[in-house]
Amino acid sequence: MDPSGPVQQLLSQGEKCVSAADAYLVQGRARVSRVAALVETETAFGPNFGFFMFGTKRMPVQGSDLTLVTVIPVKEDFAVEVIDDPSQDLLGSDVPVKVCGSGQVLTLNLPFGSKSGNFLTALRRAISIYTSQPPAEVFQPFAWLEKYELMTATADRSDWPWSGTGLDAMAAEIVTEGFEDNFADSLSFDDAASLASQQDLGDSEADGSGLEPVNVSRGGSASTMGSMMANPPSVREPIVKMYMLKEEAKYTHLKTFRIFAGTWNVNGQPATESLKAWLAKDSTPPDLYAVGFQELDLSKEAFVFNDSAREEEWVKAVTHGLHPEASYRRVRLIRLVGMMLLVFVRSEHNKFLSQIEAQTVGTGIMGKMGNKGGVAIRFDFHNTSFCIVNSHLAAHTEHYERRNQDYSDICARMQFNLTQPPLTIHKHNVVLWVGDLNYRLSDIEISEVKALIEKEMFWALMEHDQLKRQMNERSVFKDFKEASVNFIPTYKYDPGTDDWDTSEKCRVPAWCDRVLCKGDSVSAVEYRSHRELKLSDHKPVSCLFDIGVKVIDEDNYKRVFEEVIRKLDKLENEFLPSVSLSCVDLKFERIKFLEPQKKTISITNTGQVPCQFEFICKLDEKEYCKPWLNVQPSLGFIMPGDSYPIELEIYVDKNTAGRLNSGEDSLEDILVLHLDGGKDYFVTVQGDFIPSCFGSSIEALCNMRGPIREVPVARLVDLEAGSPSETSPEDSFSTLPIPKEIWLLVDHLYKHALCQEDLFQQPGLHSEIEEIRDCLDTGMPDTIPGQPHSVAECLLMFLDSLPEPVVPHQYYQSCLDSCTRFELCEQLMSQVPEHHRNVFKYLTAFLRELLKYQDDNKRDPKMLAMIFGGLLLKPKPDEAKRQNNQQTARRRATFIYQFQVNPYDG
Amino acid sequence: MNSNHRMVGRRRSSEAKQYDMLLRVLLIGDSGVGKTCILYRFVEDDFTMSHISTIGIDFKLKTVEVNGKRIRVQIWDTAGQERYETITKQYYRRAQGVLLVYDVTSEKSFTNISKWANDVDEYAPEDVERMLIANKSDDRDWRVISKQQGQKLADLYRMSFFETSAYRNVNIKEAFLALTNNIIRRQGIIPAPDNSCVKDGKCIHDLDMDLTAGDVTPLTDTEETKTGACSACSVV
Repeated sequence: MDPSGPVQQLLSQGEKCVSAADAYLVQGRARVSRVAALVETETAFGPNFGFFMFGTKRMPVQGSDLTLVTVIPVKEDFAVEVIDDPSQDLLGSDVPVKVCGSGQVLTLNLPFGSKSGNFLTALRRAISIYTSQPPAEVFQPFAWLEKYELMTATADRSDWPWSGTGLDAMAAEIVTEGFEDNFADSLSFDDAASLASQQDLGDSEADGSGLEPVNVSRGGSASTMGSMMANPPSVREPIVKMYMLKEEAKYTHLKTFRIFAGTWNVNGQPATESLKAWLAKDSTPPDLYAVGFQELDLSKEAFVFNDSAREEEWVKAVTHGLHPEASYRRVRLIRLVGMMLLVFVRSEHNKFLSQIEAQTVGTGIMGKMGNKGGVAIRFDFHNTSFCIVNSHLAAHTEHYERRNQDYSDICARMQFNLTQPPLTIHKHNVVLWVGDLNYRLSDIEISEVKALIEKEMFWALMEHDQLKRQMNERSVFKDFKEASVNFIPTYKYDPGTDDWDTSEKCRVPAWCDRVLCKGDSVSAVEYRSHRELKLSDHKPVSCLFDIGVKVIDEDNYKRVFEEVIRKLDKLENEFLPSVSLSCVDLKFERIKFLEPQKKTISITNTGQVPCQFEFICKLDEKEYCKPWLNVQPSLGFIMPGDSYPIELEIYVDKNTAGRLNSGEDSLEDILVLHLDGGKDYFVTVQGDFIPSCFGSSIEALCNMRGPIREVPVARLVDLEAGSPSETSPEDSFSTLPIPKEIWLLVDHLYKHALCQEDLFQQPGLHSEIEEIRDCLDTGMPDTIPGQPHSVAECLLMFLDSLPEPVVPHQYYQSCLDSCTRFELCEQLMSQVPEHHRNVFKYLTAFLRELLKYQDDNKRDPKMLAMIFGGLLLKPKPDEAKRQNNQQTARRRATFIYQFQVNPYDG
Repeated sequence: MNSNHRMVGRRRSSEAKQYDMLLRVLLIGDSGVGKTCILYRFVEDDFTMSHISTIGIDFKLKTVEVNGKRIRVQIWDTAGQERYETITKQYYRRAQGVLLVYDVTSEKSFTNISKWANDVDEYAPEDVERMLIANKSDDRDWRVISKQQGQKLADLYRMSFFETSAYRNVNIKEAFLALTNNIIRRQGIIPAPDNSCVKDGKCIHDLDMDLTAGDVTPLTDTEETKTGACSACSVV
């Protein structure tokens, strides 16, 4: 839902929520939900913007759920920047944005999508509107925000459930990790080798984090050229793995291996019997053995210190008991108190085993002691993962639920950390679970049990088996299978015999010892008990499995791997942002002074991802384009398939005309359009500038008899460079005393406008001014067109655009200093170069003349002095800022005034 | 396949390691020498006859395997036109490798190599790996620069040298692989193994192949012209 509606409800009349977006405020590692909004109000000086941030009580928001947290006026210190975070540029992830202003820096995550894009575009537009307005000191536009700022300052924070200290912060703590973490991860090159790359990453990190205002000035771009960003390579690693896993069938085939899984509760007895009858009973030797023991050692030491004297002898017994027709290697041994698990593999398969890890979980007293619980060994055999668990669950007939709980505890707590991510038991392709699971027979009398055993009606007995019942109810060993039990119960015997328990307790026989399995292509071949072994009150059990293991075909693996890499390369290349530009070579014709020309190019997102474009600075340049060029917008965000018009405007004003007339600069620029995370495009802008007397120097104009347009360009350049009349015969005339253009304008005013009211105060017509300018540039008109006001404004503009003012810069300060004494002023003027002095003399004479007709033209001498003072006397451009105050303005006027009221003849 | 499938880690030493790294390589040279075609051939294994001037900076990614190490090469294709030179130079500073490309049918593009080389000296990092590429080597009718001339210039500038044809897909992979290998070796990232096919910056397999000496290859079968990459280098 668009939150701008609710925001609007909270605003005063005349204020409008331009755009709003849901956002997350990032505070350290925490993210809290916020609504960000751009609010506009109309002031006398144009639209005015504020950035608002609200806390939200619930989503979707209503007005009453919003509480204002932050207000930042959109002024010169306000900036928005999309953080270039290479670890997060997966499509669809949030867009991290930094917002700063009024001394605050906020990191927001905006949800990926056009809404956020629109919001950012609106913010940038607000910034550019602000920058196009007069400086803020002049007016106080942000007064309307004061009431809101007060709200955020005085509100009682404890009332806010979403404030940084409450529930929200707690919730936020458990939310996603901060992007610094991701970034740190992505930097985890595990080879000293990649030092060079690390260096570069370091650089790019620095590039991305520096917050610079966007679009506030032409030069304030966050990006610079040549930043060749790319994803840190390790980001791709999990993706490669994922793809490889998907294609597993293409490079593996199933090969069947024989696995022996056995379990025996040895009741703390020493290993005095040969285990061959249990382990080497079959004709063919298995490929893998998994042998589990329970109650290996019932001593106190084993219980308290997990230190067993029996371990060694039993391992030895097992080793000797393995099938004699094959050689085996021990893969791993793990023991917790009396639970021991051993895995052996045929020597020739050993090299196909990897990622071997063993873990234990105790579920005894306190849920920790190791008298009950499980031990497990996991490994990868070829491309199939195995987990083998040996467990001893809680005893006693009535405690089957306790056994279920032991099982759940083992599953929940058993975790293998060698692999990334860590694995639990169930995440393995094949799970074999052996052990004294201790499930008994329920709801049946011992005599009946023994009778059924006698008749070998195991299926009937099985109906009373707690494990089967619990499994059927899916209370335990979900998804596990067990081969059908065709052997007599393995518990409880008088040790050393095959006789049922004759002790006082007279236990009901039960199948305590079981072997279960889980996984595809796992089939039980034979499930049996081994009555020949008599030393314990339990009989050992074993199950032979044929398991299909995914064996890698090296050639196919390499082929698929290469395919995957190629596919990822292709995807990555396809997902690079890409645009097309309707034109990359703009030619402007006949650019004239003060006559803007505009051309529009269209940028179309031809890529598959949203893209942000920006005109960026060339190296060592502070602005992305020349001062006579203006690009709107200079940055933006486009969705795939969308187009965006960009206006390029050439406008030569007094600041740039001088350099263009003199040939120091030409209308040529190459813009660099940079796509965030992508390539750069060059846009060439060229234009013919029609030279004008406007912006030309007094000296150069004095050296031109004819109009400026008739002077060859090369000659113009020479003239401006100060080398007048060298070779050309047509130029062999003595220089003019003052530029003819000034003479023409002033003479016209002298002849036609001495009595004109409001002269130099009422603006002229724009069209007439252009006409007059063309007239001055192209010919020697007999009459100047246009009404007096236009001619007068033209004169002022002409004086304003002189590269060196009538009173040259170097005399400026002295003139101000001596403005109160006419003799000094006169003396100063005598030092001024001839042509400048002539112009000055001529203009002041004209002003004195004008003032003679004060009765008719109602001209005030002080007003005229103010106008001409500001044009004839100017500080150097770089000093202009601190010089332009009221005091200097008055002194400039005073200087001119001296010449209005005193006779002056140079 | 059940839902419990997980990623099975690979283990044998012959495989690519589980990490890789990124190198940046720049293509420079006069307009029209075929920089974009070389990039296109290497990355997409395709070729287009039409010439569209690159106006800007483009880049593509390609993963290569060198000595069992996976390396991502980011190849930057630059505008060759003179008027963009001042701008394109600014991209040199972050490159680890530069391919200076000329066209064997254009003498001007060949003589201009000295200018490009100077730019590299001036703007690229000091230890940047440079390679001279003589492209369009398939065009025997219009060839004006012999292989010897190219080799001589490469020797003069101490660059490695390859004659390539993006059109016929000759030596493109090999050149990139050799460059990658050289960068890695130069930066001491991986010591060169004994069986490396790169010697003195040249791929032994391919330098002996003289395309000017009547080696006619059917257009349709670009694979034919490719020499077998040795075990040390392969393109994935």
